[in-house]
Amino acid sequence: MGGFSAISVGNGWLIAALGISVVFFGLAALAFIITYFPRAIRWWNDHAEKPKYTIELLRSLFSKRETETPISADTGEGHGPGGLDDVEEALRLLTTHMKEPFKLPRLIEVAEQRGLARVHSTINRLLVKGTMVGETDGLFRWAKGSKKEGNPHS
Amino acid sequence: MIPIDELKKYEILAELDPAELKFLSGMAEVTHAQEGEVLIQAGLPARTLYILQEGNLMVAFPDGRAITLHKPGGVVGWSALVSPTRYTASVTCLTDCTLITFPGSELLRLVQRNVVMGTKIMRNISKVLGRRLPFLQEEDRQRLREKR
Repeated sequence: MGGFSAISVGNGWLIAALGISVVFFGLAALAFIITYFPRAIRWWNDHAEKPKYTIELLRSLFSKRETETPISADTGEGHGPGGLDDVEEALRLLTTHMKEPFKLPRLIEVAEQRGLARVHSTINRLLVKGTMVGETDGLFRWAKGSKKEGNPHS
Repeated sequence: MIPIDELKKYEILAELDPAELKFLSGMAEVTHAQEGEVLIQAGLPARTLYILQEGNLMVAFPDGRAITLHKPGGVVGWSALVSPTRYTASVTCLTDCTLITFPGSELLRLVQRNVVMGTKIMRNISKVLGRRLPFLQEEDRQRLREKR
């Protein structure tokens, strides 16, 4: 016995199909890993080293969504969930990733993407209060010593 | 139409005499914008000059840098007076704003016809814009220098 008959008798076709499948799925898995590897690294750099950031950001976002009460930005009132303090805290967390000094339009863009409420008026209030300061080169930073003491969420 | 006394309060119009202010008051209008509203988009044709009457503005330059205006009298949209009349920065309201608007083409015509008045206005606009020069692209700086 030889040739194709021998292959059939020895389950050669099945083994060949299995081999092809193993190689195919192996390569597909490798391609998937390579595709998402940069994203995973970026996520790790952004979050995994600072898990507190993610937890606090999520907490601030959810606490904002739970309340529909708008902040009275004109009066500066708004302590409590979704208030000025919360938005300020979330902005501070965002700027830790942007590094200081940061670009104000970028901060507003990112904050809006995160769904923070009344970003513009909050930033304006922080600027007027002197908590956030504009540099002469058009970049912005938090005023020295303006770091809020303690975390209202913790 | 805006009262002459109101216009006189603003730095860029402070040197104008009553007759000149009367010309301007006829073309000026008050407009309101809401918090977060984009008043001016960089790169678009500049058709209006704005003077901030009340509120707060952010002027964002294409490279991501920005300045904020918090006092009445802040001027945005000066590109309406300088060829090729395209806005060089985007302007967003940080709070609800009230602004005095001047149609760029009419204002430009007035400035070109009345040299004395035009010089006063352009000199004051140049003063106001002096601190924005570092943020402008080289071609925009050149435009401003030529206009001076």
